[in-house]
Amino acid sequence: MSQLLYGLITGILFGFFLQRGKVLRYDQQIGALRLMDMTILKFMLTAIFVGAIGIYLLYDLGAAKLSIKPTILGATVVGGLLFGIGWGVLGYCPGTSIGAIGEGRWDGVWGVLGMLAGAALYAEAYPLMKKSLLIWGDLGKITLPGVLNVNHWLIIPVFILLGVGMFIFFEKKNL
Amino acid sequence: MEKKRDKDYWSPYIAGAFAGLVLVLSVWITGKYFGASTSFVRSAGLIEKAFDAERVGQTEYFVETTPKIDWQWMFVAGVFFGALIAAKASGTFKVQAVPGMWQAKFGSNIAPRAIVAFLGGTVAMFGARLADG
Repeated sequence: MSQLLYGLITGILFGFFLQRGKVLRYDQQIGALRLMDMTILKFMLTAIFVGAIGIYLLYDLGAAKLSIKPTILGATVVGGLLFGIGWGVLGYCPGTSIGAIGEGRWDGVWGVLGMLAGAALYAEAYPLMKKSLLIWGDLGKITLPGVLNVNHWLIIPVFILLGVGMFIFFEKKNL
Repeated sequence: MEKKRDKDYWSPYIAGAFAGLVLVLSVWITGKYFGASTSFVRSAGLIEKAFDAERVGQTEYFVETTPKIDWQWMFVAGVFFGALIAAKASGTFKVQAVPGMWQAKFGSNIAPRAIVAFLGGTVAMFGARLADG
């Protein structure tokens, strides 16, 4: 029961900041894909940088476990392409479609219905996927620090520096 | 395109930093990472169960991803309420059937937007589940 309550409270906080960052909007999401408005990227990358620092600190202190998804080239590449096409057509991702409805942009409802259909469809296709895309190019649960065999505190600052460079570029170009 | 800093919203860097902080706290306190698409699978399973529970019980994917309300499902529901609270409190809540950028290109008709959004959602979720996102 408390698990469900924690989920709800965490979601409310996250949804609050998504809305305040103006990232629940179709115009911002499609604006990013059209390279016209990088609000989404600024929000997402900042969240990732704060998350990476915080979670790896907790990990080093033994206070958190990492959640690493397997890298399966077939599934990740094809799935990523399909997700990108669908996202670009819909203009919301799964979480932001729900948030968009919350702030009154109720065309998110069509997206949610479509995504329920997509989930049902995937459940039907799953046995076939398990024999094909889900086993093609399975590299296991790899990470960049693991593959390069270096400490994660060498990788994280490099990513943050690259990100800050992008931010400076975005601000210069008024994106 | 208008490029002015919108006074009704926060800087995306600030809002993003807070969102990242929420994630860190969640991982610290409950060990939970954020996600949304698994909840669409569970919901689809719950809806299908209302029609044919036996079939859902035999569908491998729904056996692995049980149709039920869990932490992530409540998290996704929370995103709705969090967005609602933030929008109402800041005066940016707006009932809108068709997004501005869409309307400028394709008009204000609801049906075309509904069909395209539905199909986009279908493809996006299929891809998300395939890539385990």
